[in-house]
Amino acid sequence: MSKKGLTRRQFVKAGLLTGTGAALGVGVLKPTGLWAAPAKIKGPVKVGYQAIMSGTLAGYGEFHKMGVVMAMEEINKAGGIAGVPLEVEFRDSTLKKPQAIQNARYFVDSWGADFLAGVDSSGQALALAPVMAQLGKPLMVTHAATEKLTEIEVYKKGIKEIFRICTPTYQDGNAAAFVAQGLPAKKWATISPKYEYGYTCWNMFKDTLGKLKPGVEFVAESWAPFGTTDFRPHINTILDAKPDGLYSVEWAGELITMIKQANQAGLFKKIKHIMLPVGAAMDVLEGLGAEMPDGVWISGRYFFMFPNDQRNIDWVARFRKRWNHYPAYVSETGYSAMYAYKQAVEAAGSKESNAVIGALEGMKMGSPAGERVFRKQDHQAMYEVPWGLTTTNPKYPFKVMGKQVIIPPSEFFNRPPFEGPNTHPPFKG
Amino acid sequence: MNSKGTHAIYLAIILGLAVLGLVADRFVLYMGMRVMLLAIFAMGYNLLLGRTGLLSFGHGALYATGAYGMALVNLHLTPDPLLGILAGVALATACSLIVGFFCVRHTEIYFAMLTLAFGMMIFSLIWNLRELTGGDDGLVGISRGSVLGLPIAKDGQFYFLVLFFFALTLWLIHRLRGSAFGLILAGIRENNQRTSFAGIPVKSYRLAAFVISGVFAGLAGSLGAMLESNTDPFSAHWSHSAEPILVSLIGGLQTFSGPLVGSVIFVVLREIIQRFTQNWMLWFGVILLAIIMGMRGGVMGGLEKRLKRGPAPAGKGEGS
Repeated sequence: MSKKGLTRRQFVKAGLLTGTGAALGVGVLKPTGLWAAPAKIKGPVKVGYQAIMSGTLAGYGEFHKMGVVMAMEEINKAGGIAGVPLEVEFRDSTLKKPQAIQNARYFVDSWGADFLAGVDSSGQALALAPVMAQLGKPLMVTHAATEKLTEIEVYKKGIKEIFRICTPTYQDGNAAAFVAQGLPAKKWATISPKYEYGYTCWNMFKDTLGKLKPGVEFVAESWAPFGTTDFRPHINTILDAKPDGLYSVEWAGELITMIKQANQAGLFKKIKHIMLPVGAAMDVLEGLGAEMPDGVWISGRYFFMFPNDQRNIDWVARFRKRWNHYPAYVSETGYSAMYAYKQAVEAAGSKESNAVIGALEGMKMGSPAGERVFRKQDHQAMYEVPWGLTTTNPKYPFKVMGKQVIIPPSEFFNRPPFEGPNTHPPFKG
Repeated sequence: MNSKGTHAIYLAIILGLAVLGLVADRFVLYMGMRVMLLAIFAMGYNLLLGRTGLLSFGHGALYATGAYGMALVNLHLTPDPLLGILAGVALATACSLIVGFFCVRHTEIYFAMLTLAFGMMIFSLIWNLRELTGGDDGLVGISRGSVLGLPIAKDGQFYFLVLFFFALTLWLIHRLRGSAFGLILAGIRENNQRTSFAGIPVKSYRLAAFVISGVFAGLAGSLGAMLESNTDPFSAHWSHSAEPILVSLIGGLQTFSGPLVGSVIFVVLREIIQRFTQNWMLWFGVILLAIIMGMRGGVMGGLEKRLKRGPAPAGKGEGS
């Protein structure tokens, strides 16, 4: 079942269906050098990477690619993975489920990928889980955040092939509640996307904050459908409820639009405490520039100023030198996903799926975002991502985090078995 | 081409696909199934568009009702695939009866807009009934089980179930087109007043065509849910309804084989372009535009015309 590389025969078969053109499409990225492969691992390590590369969110795909290409260049320059080169092919995921599945199947069955990575949408990640089980190759999710992926597909259904290197919705819902606990706000409201991600995060926030701080009230919810360009009705609904705090998991272009319109409506003067779980995304910070108010709580899956250690500082400097850009969080997760595979393959001494899955389980790795540990039970990477207050810093043309708060992942990540007492924060003991 | 020759060609196609199912690797099988599912969807759809002359933007929603009907039965009642498919098709049939009942009172742009509105209503329902449909995550974890004791969990096995329904669709649509019913639909397309003066209840025939195309949409949807082991709310979106339209246009609206050929081109061309460039949408669009504008009557329409240029245009009303 697990075919390694692309044999001539597969090639001919693929050609039958896809015509003569298939031959040229096999790799955008060729191995950049020659290495003598050791006995155990043959040929290059091939990673198929899919992300959104078309439409309004195409910028995310570019950010993914920057991180991944940089990792590939560095890894290959330093001798590859266990002596063989790393090869990556990218595909547009279009955010549609059938396309994600087709990509995964193409990567594994036609291109001969050893591992997959990427995926932005939660729906796609959930749809891919059974497909990966069938294809028998690991998928490292670098952006999709739904906790159902790791709690249900990996833990409950036992799909071993799925791993996630980015923080899940726990960061957006639970960690936010820990930060909100320390704020004087008593009444909270939300403007969030009218789909599962929005509902899930808000429910987690309410649930956890309700337990942490009894007496807190949740006074208004306004759900904005995907593609909303006019947030004024939503802003007015929230202002009418007179909350002390606003929580919003709007993201990307829609978050930018919402902040601009909230500025016009004077929302930031009326509501003192604002929490944006994905506000620390580079596209948002750069897109808003000075229009992002100071003193807003933001977070993400990684922020380039944290951790303030040499490894991260060097990485950000190298990234800027290579791409003339600050790394977005998907750049870091994409970059680190390649290194996770490198470490696992080298530890296992094989690129065979089961060996690599075994090596990844419980694996500790250093990365620009700090130390990550892949929790054995649900394959979720645990690492610290800060929540921070926006501030103006003359060194940067956009708002950055000033004051930072770190909640340890062990305190706010839901715990296996995910159902029953003491599986959701706050934890006793 | 005489009808014997045509039959031989289709028999050869089915046999060829069966052989492919035995020898091809998993990706080719998967792409083959994608082509067959789109072909089932489009051939049913073209009974309405090409044959009856009604342009619907709501068939994506009927495809989705098939998928969700199948998935709900599969997840909550029984993993039996045939019962699941039956449920999916039944739900799609019921929906097309209701939607069709209101829509066939109108034609042309009014019909198109009404189907669009109903389709988007179904899309909103699927999006918002989160407890039932899983919202934008869709329903996940659909299993394939076994048919009459034969396992279909593996792609190489499931392929033959898809092939069976594909062959069944080919045969049914072929019979329908050649029947008096099919000829009346063509009559309605050409001149609905004249047809109604001939004493034919035009609306009922339109409704029948709508429901039949809905049945095939539901069949494609329920098989699609099994293939991908999940349901996708966006399959109910109007943009998904554009797929069978494009496919029929590429292949040839007025031909029997048009949607089939169109499906092959649509799925395979897209896959090839994606291997060359990440800007695939642009190139895909340009090539589709060239086919649609360059070949009036689609690939098969153009081919038929060329073949018939020599001898007398015997079946011209049929062919072009």
